[in-house]
This record gives sequence, structure tokens and C-alpha cells, in this order.
Amino acid sequence: MMRGIGHIYMALSAIVLALPIVVVCGAALNGGRTMTFPPREPTLARFGEFFIYETVWTNALGNSLIVAFGAATLAVLLAWPIAYLLWSTGSRLSQVLAGLGSLPFAVPPIVFGVGLGFFWGFTGGLGEIWAGVVSHAILLMALPLVTISIGLRAIDRAHLDAAATMGATEAVTFRTVVLPQTVPYTISGFFFVLVLSFNEFIVMFFVSASSYATVTLQIFNSLRNGYTPTMAVAAITFIVVSVLVFSAVARWGDLPRLMGADQSRN
Amino acid sequence: MSVADGIDPPLGEETAPARAPFRWSRVLPWGLTALIALFCVVPFLLVIAISFGRKIEGAAWVWDFTFENYQRFFVGTLWPDEVTFLYLQQLGYSFWYAVIASILAVITALPFTLALTRLSRRAQAAWLVFILSSLSLSEVFIVMGWDILLSNNSGLPALFKSTGLTDWLKAVGWFDTLREWGLANPRNVKFKTSEFATILTMSYLVWPYSVILLYPALSRLDPSLSEAARTMGAGNLTVLRTVTLPSVRLPLFGTTLLLFVFLLGTYVAITVFADPSKHTTAVAIYSNVRGANLNAPFGATQAVILLVSASVCLVLGHTLNRWSEAR
Repeated sequence: MMRGIGHIYMALSAIVLALPIVVVCGAALNGGRTMTFPPREPTLARFGEFFIYETVWTNALGNSLIVAFGAATLAVLLAWPIAYLLWSTGSRLSQVLAGLGSLPFAVPPIVFGVGLGFFWGFTGGLGEIWAGVVSHAILLMALPLVTISIGLRAIDRAHLDAAATMGATEAVTFRTVVLPQTVPYTISGFFFVLVLSFNEFIVMFFVSASSYATVTLQIFNSLRNGYTPTMAVAAITFIVVSVLVFSAVARWGDLPRLMGADQSRN
Repeated sequence: MSVADGIDPPLGEETAPARAPFRWSRVLPWGLTALIALFCVVPFLLVIAISFGRKIEGAAWVWDFTFENYQRFFVGTLWPDEVTFLYLQQLGYSFWYAVIASILAVITALPFTLALTRLSRRAQAAWLVFILSSLSLSEVFIVMGWDILLSNNSGLPALFKSTGLTDWLKAVGWFDTLREWGLANPRNVKFKTSEFATILTMSYLVWPYSVILLYPALSRLDPSLSEAARTMGAGNLTVLRTVTLPSVRLPLFGTTLLLFVFLLGTYVAITVFADPSKHTTAVAIYSNVRGANLNAPFGATQAVILLVSASVCLVLGHTLNRWSEAR
């Protein structure tokens, strides 16, 4: 009885959750320049505009990819040593570092965006795409920090003791025991940053200083002129990317565990 | 790239090769500390420092140490002759929208997450993919979707009209109530602009977050407790009220706080769905720093006030989560 109500409630929630997404996807098929639902004169021409013909969108997509992949790589490289220090020493310093590293993600993004805008203004990175990459890496570093920490904590201490007994140095143990066992968690962290960077625009707005635009920033900038069906194509692309990425994480990693599920039950 | 430069020295240390691993582990923490301080702390310090700066008419701004901006925020420029609470009112709207939307999200996400944790591991993973995908979806796309759904020419108002729901509402007299609430014009229902649409969209924005945040706590609930209560003859609702809810009280409160902090910075949903007279501090920050007003110090002041509000809530939420984990 209770179980049935639970399932019905889940289904209802899923419908509401999917509603605006379905509407946006439908609006992408509009033949005219206006966004209506259901679409009028359905056509797939908007997909061509977004991916091939309109340079505004192809440039923006290119920038989005550069920023997302750059930021994800950098965030993982920054998070690894912090997570490792926290796990191997548990020192006060490593706790402070982890806390400060998560700070930008925890506060409202507009505040960090304003701060970075000033920061790059003084250091000469304002409007440079590499500054955008660094900004997103810092903003989203908290995510690989969490996933890698979960991975490190999942390592069986017996393996480490065995390695030490057999005379392995810290470096060897790291390469042969720690690193291989944490690869799935590192990749999950990478993907989380990738997807969130792809979708972020407030921080990007402040650090890009209108000299380049990512896809979400381009849409944000044209808010005042109203939406066009081409933007809906962008939305579809982003949803598809998210679903693919998280499915990959679920397929090759342990998604419930990453999200903090209890390990003793299945 | 500057970050790579920053990492290099500790990694590429070539002196004393015999003790290289030892040195590496000693230098690394300090290199990291410098990097984190530079990128995670300095931007916030800059915001705080600039909030005491002064705008020059017709130009940019200069460093200064004046409390004018803070005075302007709390009581207006002309104080003590004249007092305006415009900016406090904006902060009030920030809080109002964020409080209602986060509570709404947590209340509706709780039963969903409870049901989710009872599913098989595989099913949970599939649902989590769905939840995470909608969580990561950019605010611009979500607002776009709700905008189409709620705008007057398409979506729900058009649906109301064509299905005759509008006429029915008029016939039973509820239409006048909707008009009093600002959710209808003389001809049809309207949701833009309204607090209803703003809060609905904001609540939707954080709903997946609330599922993800509640998930660990709920999946650790011991099912034997509620089974025991049931064996002793307690009904489903009694179990929920006396066993389940009390044991997740703290995570519930902590989650609400985190969502509240997240929503304090909402920008797009407010500009699209809220009436300009009911705009929030986040919108004001934007228009001062990059928009029409170009008063960076005052924008920074508002950012500091938002930051302080957010930090207080975060610390509170963190403490609560610690408690709940310790128990």
C-alpha cells in the first residue's frame, strides 16, 4: 500500500521534473523564430544552425568545450593532492585546505563571480579564455575533492599494510595500490566538473567581460531579446550530454555510493 | 597557465635527489596552500576591500575606507535627513523567495527520496542519473522551459483557455480570487509576472539538489526501527511521524539551509518571473557591477552582505550536520 503510493509519487515527481525539459525540446522543432509549444511547422533546421551554420553558436560551443575540459582537468589536478593529504595525514592544514577549496562552490556563485571579476581585472586575465578555465576549475574543485576523498576512504587498509610489509615506499604504494583503486572516483569527479562547467554562466559572465561567450552565457546574454528555437537546440544538446555522462558514471562507477548511500545494504 | 606554474616548483624540485620523495611531501602542502589562498581566498578579500571603496561620478572607482556604501544599503544616502529601505527590501525579497522555495523543495523531495532509497540498487542508479541530469541543467534552460509553460500566449494559460478551464473558473467564482492574488487579468489566468511563478521555478531549480542532499541520510535509516514500530501495531502515518521524521530532522533542516544559500544568488529566474519592484539583491549586484548602474563598490557591498548571510547559514547547517552524524 505504502509502497504503491511511493511509486505513484515518484512517477508524478518525474513528470513535473521532465515537464519544462520536454517543452524546451519540443520548442526546438519550431519552424518560425518564436518559441511556442506545441511547435508550429516542425523542422530540424535549427539543429543545423546550432551545430554548423551560425558562427555565434559554433564559436560558443567551441568555447564551452575548451572551458569545460580544461576546467575539469585542472580541477582534478588541484583536488588530488588536497584529497591525498587529507586522507594520508588528516592534518589540520589539509582540513583547512579542503574547507577553503570548497568555499567557492558553497557560497552564492554571484559573489565569487564578482570577486573573480575584480581578481582577473588586477592580474590581467579578464576576458582571457584561460582565466575562464582557471575560474571554473576553482569554482568546481569541491566536486572531485569529494569524489576522490570517497574513493580514498574506500581503499582497504589491509592492502596498504601488505604493500608496506613487502617494503614498498610511499611512492610505489601510491602508484600500485592507491592510484588504480581510485581511478573510477577520479573520473567521476572529472565528469561532474565537466557537466557543471558546461552549464555554468554567472561566474563566466563576470570573468569573460563580454570578450567571448560559452553557450549558456550566449543564451544568458540574449535573454532580453527573447528566446529563439536555436537556443532550445542548445538545451537538448546539454541534456543529452548530461544523461550520457551520468549514465557512464553509473555504468563504470558506483553512483549510489558516490551519492553517499549506505554500503551495508543492497 | 598560471596554476600550472604555481604547481611546478613543488613537483619539479631537483635538489637533493637522494631524498626526493621526502622533500616532495614537505613542499607540496605549502605550494597548495599558496594556490588555494590565491584563488579561493583573495577574490573574496577583494570584494570585501572594494566594498569600502568610493565611486567617482562619470568614472570608475577608487580605493578608500568609507562606510558610505554600507550606510546607503541600510538607511539610504540621505540619512539622517531621509531614510530609505530600498536595498534592505531587496535583501528581504532575496530571503523571502529563497526561504519559501527551499522549504517547498525539501517537503516535496522528502517522500520522493524515501521511496527512492527503498528501491533496488540498480533502480536507484537509474533514478540518480535522471536526478543528476536535471540538477546540472543550467538555470537558463530551466527558466526557458518554465517561461514557455507560463507565458501568456503559450503553455498553461493557453491550455486553460482552450480547455474551457478559464470559463469554468469564472463560473464558480474562483477567477476573482485569482485576480486578487495577481494570477489573472480580466480575460485569462496569467503567471508572468508573479511571486507564484518565481517561487515555483526557484523551487524546481533546487529540487534535485534536495534529493541528492537528503539521499545519504535517508539511505542510512535503519528499516528495522520502523518495522519494529509496525510490529507493535503502529500505522504507517504514526511510523512516519514518530520514527522516520524525528531521525531525519537535522538533515532536513541542514538541507533546507544549504538550498536557501544556493537560492540567495538566483538571478535569471528573478529577472524573468518577478516584478521589477520585487527584485532581489543578486539582481542589484549584477546591475551595479556589470549592468546599467556601474557602481562597483556598492555592488561589492551588497555582495559582502549576501556573503555574510550565506556564511552564517552555512556554518549553522554544517554544525547541524555534524550533530546528526555524531548521533
